[in-house]
Amino acid sequence: MTAPAAPPALDVRGVTVRFAGLLALDDVSFTVAPGTVHAVIGPNGAGKSTCFNVLSGLYRPTAGSVRLGAAELTRLAPHRIAALGVARTFQNIVTTRGTVADNLMLGRHALSRAGFAAGALRLPGARREQRAHLARAREIAELTGLGAHFDAPVALLSYGDRKRVELARALCLEPRVLLLDEPVAGMNAAERLRTAEVVREIRAELGLSVVLVEHDMGLVMRLADEVTVLDFGRAVAHGTPDEVRRDPEVLRAYLGTATGEDAA
Amino acid sequence: MSDLRSLLLRRGPLLAAALLLCALPFYLDAFWLRIGLFSMAAAIGAVGLGLLSGTAGQLSLGHAFFLAVGAYGYVWLAGEPGPGLPPAVALVLAVLLAGAAGGLFSPVAGRVKGIYLGVATLALVFLGHHVLLTADSVTGGFNGRSVPPLELGGFAFDGSGPGLTVLGVPFGAEERLWYLGLTLFAVTWFTARGLLRGRPGRALVALRDSETAASVMGVHVARYRSAAFVVSSMYAGLAGVLLALSFRRVVPDYFSLALSVDYLAMIVIGGLGSVAGATAGAVFVTALPLLMTRYADQLPLVAAPGSGDGSIGPTEASRYLYGAAIVAVLLFAPDGLHGLARRARARLRRRAPAPGAPGAGPVPSAAASPVTTDTTARAKEHTP
Repeated sequence: MTAPAAPPALDVRGVTVRFAGLLALDDVSFTVAPGTVHAVIGPNGAGKSTCFNVLSGLYRPTAGSVRLGAAELTRLAPHRIAALGVARTFQNIVTTRGTVADNLMLGRHALSRAGFAAGALRLPGARREQRAHLARAREIAELTGLGAHFDAPVALLSYGDRKRVELARALCLEPRVLLLDEPVAGMNAAERLRTAEVVREIRAELGLSVVLVEHDMGLVMRLADEVTVLDFGRAVAHGTPDEVRRDPEVLRAYLGTATGEDAA
Repeated sequence: MSDLRSLLLRRGPLLAAALLLCALPFYLDAFWLRIGLFSMAAAIGAVGLGLLSGTAGQLSLGHAFFLAVGAYGYVWLAGEPGPGLPPAVALVLAVLLAGAAGGLFSPVAGRVKGIYLGVATLALVFLGHHVLLTADSVTGGFNGRSVPPLELGGFAFDGSGPGLTVLGVPFGAEERLWYLGLTLFAVTWFTARGLLRGRPGRALVALRDSETAASVMGVHVARYRSAAFVVSSMYAGLAGVLLALSFRRVVPDYFSLALSVDYLAMIVIGGLGSVAGATAGAVFVTALPLLMTRYADQLPLVAAPGSGDGSIGPTEASRYLYGAAIVAVLLFAPDGLHGLARRARARLRRRAPAPGAPGAGPVPSAAASPVTTDTTARAKEHTP
């Protein structure tokens, strides 16, 4: 694929999400600089997943704006946001039935054209398109270490591999911004290292911005260029991993109880 | 050379089945051909419903309505009173008309999900039935209308016209319609499988398994839901036309809610989400009552039609049977006949590890071997 231009900055400004009486996000702002890894951390229930759902268009915020370059994302439906090059994974694995190839090809949906008529009549154009996208999907499977499982049903894969299928599917969108919701949750140490390696590689190779929600502090400290800490829906700290690690507010809210995980 | 061999191996069963189906009219009498004809029409409709309910996960109880649109659309367009178009044109227009009717319903079909769509489509059946009964000038009211035979380039698909004898077998209406049905079914098979394997099919599967995942992967949820509904209606319309041609008369009472339920039974028995499964289910549900009626006198516990001595008639008996079949399928084989066949195939393959397997052409060997087990484990819906 052609070398992608630097992705535009993702700018989150004053985002507030209110569910009935509950304030899930309260005036949260941060900016993901082009080509960086930006981690969003915080205790359970701090609003990290809500934040992701706003970024990918599943929730509409009560107030605030999310801009990707010149595009205002809060007014767009999820599939339009995907077409702009924002891809995400889910905290609990959400794959569809079928093989790894089927799942990765779903990731190519926004990049391909063939509609119902072309598919039904098996027009040569549609078949050519499918072949080309299948080849690219296979490349991405190799890149994420799924090459050997490409034609295997997802349901038969191990937990770690299924997590990787989600990552690969998101990559198949050729995203400019990749949102990873706890990419290593539930993985063992070796799998964590491998996923961290993959994230580092794809960022170097594809030059995309990554927004990372993760509980594994070791991974966050190793991968992230910048960290935003959420607590009870508010952004309580910003900075480099080292700055955040020393921030007393953060220690109180979060790291004080989580430093034990650093070993991972 | 080996390419040709592997192609034959892959396509062999399909080719054999096609040849067999083409040869049948030379050996079977009109009764069996009629069963086949109704089965083919039902299979076309069932493939359409399978696409909507099995693949896209959208329940529809309105299938009978779209069958009626196709059937009556053809009769009106080709008949008198009506524009009296050439029947072949009327056939195509009737299919498009059914699609358009589905499209008119798309504001609902695109937004309403799963079982709720089932309730919404229920209204269509009652509405349709009422219109069929009251719009006399178009539909012929309660008594229905007779169906103008299909003619294609001077060749009529009915018993009229110059007699035709092929290889010593006189070709009457059934024989001729058999080949028409076979052609239409082949078109259905080809297009539906192309759809399911391509980009639209994957999008529909994703919608069924997780709407959230589908939408963040770029699938326009409402548009794909409506498109699935329209395509399903078009297959129903085609099935309706073939049914009308086979019955030679269309009456409103046929297109009732029970017909919609029959089609649901077909795709459940056959296995959701598969073209072959829908076909098998359609043959089962269609042929069973006809066979039971024919052989009622030889079956225990079943009375001959019209004997009226208080025991079960063949139609009721077949309903009990396929009711039992649905329960059995849901309990023991949730993926239907298609799933059973696939598991049987997998078991055969495991028992007989082909001696020359590695040399048998470009077969994905090692990676594919543990793959044949079923994948019924369903991905969970993500609830954000």
